[in-house]
Amino acid sequence: MSGQPTIDTNEPVFFHPDLFVVPTNGEAPYLLGYKCEDCGKVWFPKLEICPECWTDLKQITLSRSGKLYSYSIIHIGQRGIKSPYAVGYVDFPEEVRIYAQLAIPHEKLKLGMDVEVIEGVVRLDKNSNPVMLSYMFKAVE
Amino acid sequence: MREVYVVGVGMTPFGKFPDRPYYDLGKEAVVKAVKDANVDKREIQAGYVGNVKAGMAPGQKVFKTLGMTGMQIVNVENACSSGQTALNLAYSAIASGQYDMVMAVGCENLTGGRTSGEALAPDQDDIEGILGNVMPAIYGMRAKKYMEQYGATPEDLALVAVKNHKHSSLNPYAQFRNLVTIEEVLASRMVAEPFTLLQCCPIADGAAAAVVCSKEKMLQLGAKGVKIDASILVSGLFKNQPSDLTVPEITQRASRLAYEMAGMGPVDINMVECHDAFTIAEFLYYETLGFCEKGEAASFIRSGAAELGGKHVFSVRGGLLCMGHPLGATGVAQTVEAVWQLRGQAGDRQIPGAKTAMIHITGGGVSGMDNAACGVHIFTV
Repeated sequence: MSGQPTIDTNEPVFFHPDLFVVPTNGEAPYLLGYKCEDCGKVWFPKLEICPECWTDLKQITLSRSGKLYSYSIIHIGQRGIKSPYAVGYVDFPEEVRIYAQLAIPHEKLKLGMDVEVIEGVVRLDKNSNPVMLSYMFKAVE
Repeated sequence: MREVYVVGVGMTPFGKFPDRPYYDLGKEAVVKAVKDANVDKREIQAGYVGNVKAGMAPGQKVFKTLGMTGMQIVNVENACSSGQTALNLAYSAIASGQYDMVMAVGCENLTGGRTSGEALAPDQDDIEGILGNVMPAIYGMRAKKYMEQYGATPEDLALVAVKNHKHSSLNPYAQFRNLVTIEEVLASRMVAEPFTLLQCCPIADGAAAAVVCSKEKMLQLGAKGVKIDASILVSGLFKNQPSDLTVPEITQRASRLAYEMAGMGPVDINMVECHDAFTIAEFLYYETLGFCEKGEAASFIRSGAAELGGKHVFSVRGGLLCMGHPLGATGVAQTVEAVWQLRGQAGDRQIPGAKTAMIHITGGGVSGMDNAACGVHIFTV
C-alpha cells in the first residue's frame, strides 16, 4: 500500500489521506470511495482502476454513516492497541463494507446499529502515547 | 489425465518444539513417508514443500541432507493452504504425466520465532492489519453474525471443541490429548468474542509428507494406494461489497468443484478434515460443504453425526483445534490422516469401514477476500 505509515515520529501519523478526510474548517470527517463509472461498483480503500472493468475510478465522498454488519471485542490483540478493543465491519449505503475499530462502549454494541465516521487514535506507543490517528466508527447519537 | 495415488505417508507429532527447526521436522516426515511407501528414495522425482514462515528455499533445506538433491524442488507458500497446495502440485505432476513418483511435504516451526500472547494478524501492509484486526476477530465477526442469524449459543459452539478434544484424546500425534467439558471451554480466557481460548486453534510445530505416484507405478511396486479422486485449489474473490459472512464463498466454490471432479456428493463422504481454526469454522463448513442445511449446524453436531461413530466424522484426528496449526504442514497432515483412516491404520480413532475422505483447508487474511486460498481433496479406497 502506498503511503505506508512510519511510527518513529513524535507527532501521531495520520492514516491515510487517500481514504479519510478531516476538514480543517471543523466540519465532520468523511471517508473516500472510488467508483467505477462503467459498472457502478464502489471500492475502498483507494484503487486506480476497477478490478472488474479496468476503468479509471472516480473519487467520491462516502456517506458519513452506515450499519454495523458484525463486530468482535478483541481481548488478545495486536501490540500497540490497548485491549480489550472492539472492531467491526460497517456497510455503507454506497454498497461498500469497511472495517475499523469501534469507539463504542462495548455494552452498547449491537448488530445492525447505525454508526458514523470519526477520527480517533488507532495505535499507541509503548508509553501509551498516540502514534497513529485514523478513522473509527462511533454510534449515531 | 492419469489416475493418482498416495502410496506412503508419514508425519511428526504436532506440538511445541521450539528447538527443532522446520527442516529437521520435515526430514523426519520425509523419511517416514518414503519408508512407509517402501520405495528407494532415488525414485522420487520431485518434491513440493509447503511452508509459510521460514523464508527462502525451505524445501532444499529439508531434502539436502537426505540425499534427495538434484530433483525438482518447488517451495510453496499459500498461507494456511500451503500444504494442500503442495499436494495439488504433486497431483498435477503425476496426473499430467510429467513425473511418475513425487512427494508433497509440509513443515513449519511457529514456536521458535514467535512470542505468545499476541494473536495471528493480517500483515502490517494490509489495511485491516494496520487498523488492528486479528484472525480470531475475523472469525469472531462471522460467529456473532451466525449466532444472531440462527440463534446458535456459545454452548453450541463449544460442542465443537468438546468433540475434537474427545477425538484427539485417541490420537498420539495430537498436541492436546485431554478431554474438556462445555463449561471448561466457555470458562477459558476470552480471546476475541465470542471465542474463548479453547475455541481457537493453538500454534504448533510439525511436519507431514506423502509419496504420490501414478497407477502404473503403484502396480509396478505392488503397492495398494489410496486414490486421489479430486484435487482442487482456488483463490478468494476480491470484494469490497457487503456479503453474507456466514457463507464462506471460497469453500462453497472449491467443494463444488471437488464433488464434481470426484463424481460424488456429501452423502458419499465418511470423514472430513476441515479448517476448524475456530469453533465457528466447523459449523460453517458442515453447512457449506453440504452436510446439513444452512443454520442447522448445531443440530447436526448434537445428533452425533460429526463424531466418531457418526455418519460424517469431522476432525477425527482432533482437527486444528487440538492438533494445532503449523501453517505449511496442516494440509499434508490432513492427507496423512485420511490415508491412515482409509487403510484402516488409525488405531483407537479408526472410523470403521471408512472408504472416502475429504480434506478441506482455507485461509490467509487478506482484506477484501473471504480467504486467500482454499484447497479440497477427496480420497477413496
